[in-house]
Amino acid sequence: MKNKYIIGGFIIVLFLGIMVYLFTQSNIKYENNFTVVKSTNKTVKATGSWVKEKNYSYDSENNLFKFFMKDENGEEMLVVYRGAMPNNFESATSVVVTGSYQENYFYAKDILTKCPSKYQEQPNTQSSSL
Amino acid sequence: MIGSIILTFALVFSIISMVMYYLNFKGYNNTISYARIFYHLTSIFVIVASTFLWYYILTHQYQYKYVFSYSNNSLTTGLLLSSFWGGQEGSFMLWILLTVIVGIILQSYTSKRVDLEPRVMAVFTLAISFLLLMVSPWFKNPFEYIWTTPIFVDLKSINSSYLNLPFLEQFLFPDPQTNTTYVQVSSTLLASLVQNGIDPNTFIINGRGLNPQLLNFWMQIHPPILFIGFAMATVPFAFAVSALMKNEYKEWVSQSFPWLLAGTGILGLGIMLGGYWAYEMLGWGGYWAWDPVENSSLIPWLIGVAAIHTMLVQKKSQSQSEGIGRYAKTNLILSILVYILVLYSTFLTRSGILGDASVHSFVDPGMLVYLFLIIFISSFTLLGVGLLVYRWKDLKSEIPQDESLLSRELSLFTAAVVLCASAIIVFVGTSAPIVGRSVDISFYNEMHVPLAIIIGLLNGLSLLLKWKTTSTQELLSKSVIYLAISVVLTALMIIFGGINDIMMILLAFSSIFTILVNGEIAYKIIKNNLNRLGAYVAHIGLAIFILGVIGSSAYSSEKTLNLVKGKPAEAFGYQMIFTGYEPIENATKYAFNINLNKDGKTYNAAPVMYIAEFNNSLMREPSIVVLPTKDIYIAPLSYEQTGDHSHSGSVLIEKGKSINYENINLTFEKFEMSSDVMQAMQEGRDFQLGAVMSASSNGKKISFNLYRKQSGDKVEFTSFESKELNLRVEMLNLSAQGVELSLSKLDEPKNKVEKQAEEVLVVNASVKPFVSLVWIGVLVVVIGFFIAFSRRLKESF
Repeated sequence: MKNKYIIGGFIIVLFLGIMVYLFTQSNIKYENNFTVVKSTNKTVKATGSWVKEKNYSYDSENNLFKFFMKDENGEEMLVVYRGAMPNNFESATSVVVTGSYQENYFYAKDILTKCPSKYQEQPNTQSSSL
Repeated sequence: MIGSIILTFALVFSIISMVMYYLNFKGYNNTISYARIFYHLTSIFVIVASTFLWYYILTHQYQYKYVFSYSNNSLTTGLLLSSFWGGQEGSFMLWILLTVIVGIILQSYTSKRVDLEPRVMAVFTLAISFLLLMVSPWFKNPFEYIWTTPIFVDLKSINSSYLNLPFLEQFLFPDPQTNTTYVQVSSTLLASLVQNGIDPNTFIINGRGLNPQLLNFWMQIHPPILFIGFAMATVPFAFAVSALMKNEYKEWVSQSFPWLLAGTGILGLGIMLGGYWAYEMLGWGGYWAWDPVENSSLIPWLIGVAAIHTMLVQKKSQSQSEGIGRYAKTNLILSILVYILVLYSTFLTRSGILGDASVHSFVDPGMLVYLFLIIFISSFTLLGVGLLVYRWKDLKSEIPQDESLLSRELSLFTAAVVLCASAIIVFVGTSAPIVGRSVDISFYNEMHVPLAIIIGLLNGLSLLLKWKTTSTQELLSKSVIYLAISVVLTALMIIFGGINDIMMILLAFSSIFTILVNGEIAYKIIKNNLNRLGAYVAHIGLAIFILGVIGSSAYSSEKTLNLVKGKPAEAFGYQMIFTGYEPIENATKYAFNINLNKDGKTYNAAPVMYIAEFNNSLMREPSIVVLPTKDIYIAPLSYEQTGDHSHSGSVLIEKGKSINYENINLTFEKFEMSSDVMQAMQEGRDFQLGAVMSASSNGKKISFNLYRKQSGDKVEFTSFESKELNLRVEMLNLSAQGVELSLSKLDEPKNKVEKQAEEVLVVNASVKPFVSLVWIGVLVVVIGFFIAFSRRLKESF
């Protein structure tokens, strides 16, 4: 019954092959530099922070939520997300959007907000004392 | 302080107990009673320490950082009790508490089985020692005082009788963005308090509280059940290692089997409750998002279930006198892996490594904890794998005869392989963030559909196969009737259910096949011997679960609806009318009532939205209308009042900035607030905030003030009119961002669009057919595990 092992081995190799293929197809890179994000139309996970000073809006007609994000270097971009403002959004310290850059905005399929609040909070107090 | 001391003692006792157990295993007969005493002392001390933590939480002792961070005065008793595991430190405490309790049962269980106790308990106490190290004062100690590391505390949480202390000034930090003042609590502040003769324990009178998403029933039940599953995962590991220690591989299988069954059953229940929580409360829209935290507890579960299948073969082949039995190595490897994967799961979710990838991972706990977690995993991996390699040759010496291709042994083994394949997929996807990658959800889904089909078919076929060998003809004659009925039922589903995807058809077919075969056998068993029912029940549950998944995910449809108050809208054949909102839970939340009408029947849905004080964010809770064949899931998105003037013709002027309106230059000069405004705000007294404005046109300049007056919860705004400038200025809002105004000319009708204030509720509605089968399926699986558990417990001697 050595055939059994050959068949078994073949199936395992096939499985691993499919997995590796799908992994490379569906894997998404994290990117915290928006200049790079803007230069490609590949799907990425862009990490940055919400620009609270700039306007954000929710267009209920088309169910689009628009806001601005900036990266560590201060590079900003407009993000358009199909859906409403996520829970916890206002208190988010960092935002991860999954999607790709179109002509002049980032189209997000998914938003993930990271809140310091849930497990350990450090209010972002300025260092100037009274 | 006392809590830390108790925990440190527990750690010392646990180490002593481990050493004594090990010495006993090495032949020192008199150490066993010491080992037992010290083990029980460990458990008592852990229970006492946990009681202290609960006591501190219930009595609001905010001088403890943990109590301050995860509870506050307004939580109900049930939620206060669950604050225990609201944070990292406490969830480790819960894990330890449950592990020592499992250990008490394990000690009693092993002491009745010849020489089992010293080996198993030595390994088990080693695991407890590592966990206790984790909560020791060097790492994640829940009894840390708030003074130890500087932390910012909202001024509102400080005892107001100390607010006028002069030295407090230097610890105050205002945050202009949120209009709050923070006190930096640190050892320096503690020193100042003590110097001034103030009892530091009375300084902080309120805590931060729990995240609003955790404030519900599920928080009280999901984490404890999941952690019982985690705690019980230690047991198969301990049994496997103890078998390797003794170099004897026959008995441990039967002895470990009931523990594995109960552990995976409970872990599975815990995972499902998490899914239900996400579905019902958090509004994720589904029950499973392949979130890394969910995944990381699924991986050990899958491996545990795989181990159940191969252990069954080993047990069976032992009874047919084949020495230690088949798959001895596989079983050792899988049992060891279950616990290592639980540790890996802890590492993924606690080390901060998934920071950007998961909704609910913990934040970075610091380098020291990170290193400790790595040492923790490596030690147990080394112990398990090292011993296995050391004993490999002894294991190799017993190879029983090969089984035939068509035998139940091989199909059980194949099932384990498929489960491991599933675990590998989830493992790879979940671990991707470690190397800065991430996989799309489609990766999991596409990989799992074919696996689920194989599982379904195997699930039915394996039961038609006999142990050892079955002739092809026999198999065919047995299965043909089931296959025929399955084909007919699947065809009916295609015609009436509208299933058209080939993979879904295959999946449905294999699930129906499973239900038929298992159902038939289960029926026979019910008539004879209930004891043997477990496996069949679990497999029927799995098939029900898969049918539920097909219905609810592949055939769910969703729609975004703008519901204007009083005006019916149509969706999925239902007429939906938004009838208005009402405050609930002491006006902390708002329920938005929607009536759904169909065929003369009315259903009510009331999704909830509110602004959480905790994080000043808009929070939403979905509402689900549960019908026999489907759920209608209504997730609120936003609520707007159109026609409200704030949306038509309002302008925002930042402090110090000007705008131009009809040749009039309007400037927001500065804020005007009296000296006690801050204090009034904190104490909740009435107060007013003013904006000093100026308007100039053609060289004329007029100054005026606008006020925002707050009395109780009511807010009023003043307005200003000038005939000279033909200008009317109405204040709409005043905040740190600036002043919001509505501007109009006096000789024109008011800018306000008061024609008809429309209230619009925007919701995302979806229909999820047969989602209830998902819950029913999992519950049936769990019941199956427990029936099997009770049978295997009797066989474990």
